[in-house]
Order: sequence, then C-alpha cells, then structure tokens
Amino acid sequence: MSTSTASRLIGATMTDAWLDMPTIDMASPMAGFPAHRQFVLVRLNEQGLLYAFTSTQDPNIRFLVAPPEPFFPDYAPEIENDVLAALNTKDADRLLVMVVITAGVEETSANLLAPIIVDRDSRRAMQVILQDSGLPVRAIMRRMA
Amino acid sequence: MLVLTRKAGESVIIGDDVVVTVLEARGDVIRIGIEAPRDVQVHREEVYRELQAANREAASPDEAAVQALADSLRPAAKPD
Repeated sequence: MSTSTASRLIGATMTDAWLDMPTIDMASPMAGFPAHRQFVLVRLNEQGLLYAFTSTQDPNIRFLVAPPEPFFPDYAPEIENDVLAALNTKDADRLLVMVVITAGVEETSANLLAPIIVDRDSRRAMQVILQDSGLPVRAIMRRMA
Repeated sequence: MLVLTRKAGESVIIGDDVVVTVLEARGDVIRIGIEAPRDVQVHREEVYRELQAANREAASPDEAAVQALADSLRPAAKPD
C-alpha cells in the first residue's frame, strides 16, 4: 500500500537505524521496574516517531518512547563516561537517545530528565538521570498535526 | 535505621565495595562522596522517587491513547 514519495524520506535515517533492533538488555533496570532486564523495541507509527519499549518478561510493561529530535530540537543530553562504560560503548556515534512518553488523555509529555540511552552495537541500554540538568520529567509534547 | 557518627574525611563502607565519605559539613549542608561499582546507581532520593513515579505512570498506556498518539505524530516539516 505504500506508494513511496519524496516526503516519506524525512526521518528515514532514524527509522532505518531502529528497525533491526530485536532485544535490548538493560545495563541497569528502569527506575521502579527492577525485575525487567530485557526489552524489545517495536515501531508504532509509519514515520518512526513512536516506538513501544516492551518488557520481554511481561508485555503489559510497555513504555512509549520517541526520538527527541523532531519534538525537542535543542535537546542534546551529555552522556557521562560511566554510562558509556556501563553500555560497553566502543563508538559513541552508535548511541541512540530515546525519551519516555506519557500518553495522557489531556496531554502527552516526555521525560527529558531521564532519557533511555541505547548502544546499537552492544544492544545495551539504560535510563540515565541527567544530574543537575534542571530538565523536566514531564515536558509537554506539542502535537505536530 | 543504623546511626553512625562520622567526621569530615571519615567514611562508612556498605557491603564490600560501596564507600560513603563525609567530605564537608557546613551548617545543615553535608557534602558526601560515594564510590560504588558502576552497576550500582547513585541518585538523590527525591529525584529517583520522582523518576520511579513517572515511569510507573508511563509504563502501561491505554491502547486508545497509544493509537491516537501514533496517528497524530507527524514529522515536523516535509519537503515539497
């Protein structure tokens, strides 16, 4: 059904990078979910702007995550060396940043304080608290209609 | 709760490899240093509690809200 047009190419790089990512091991668990150590990432919308990050132990534990760039263009978290070590990162260019989305009826927010950092090579991830950044846990996302 | 008295420069050790050192005490502000293995995360408690609460709220979104969100998200700009 896809009649590919040039307009579909926006975000293609990000999409391609995320597509072939089966399971991801947490270098340390998500806060509040100590038992869930492995997740799968599944794309939820055509443009690659929304993904489900689902626990392999319990599919009811499912986070919505998104690449921050389209929504928060100025967002550029600084990743500390101890995070790189925990992720077994060899090449920092292979890191992906995802923000956790809270989908509410009234509004949708993104957690900018604690993004999930994924190493595409080691397939390890962790939610990193950006200490002293002053960034919000609930930043309202504008809907791009 | 175990209560210990320490002076600046003194430490306590937790388990085999977590060391908490009192660096400075000035009035009601205490600066502490923590050495821990890299798989032990150390955070200010109130920040971590807030993150726990946010994660729990985010963890199991309503299917209808997910679908509506997936449908509403569009790239910020499109070429001609």
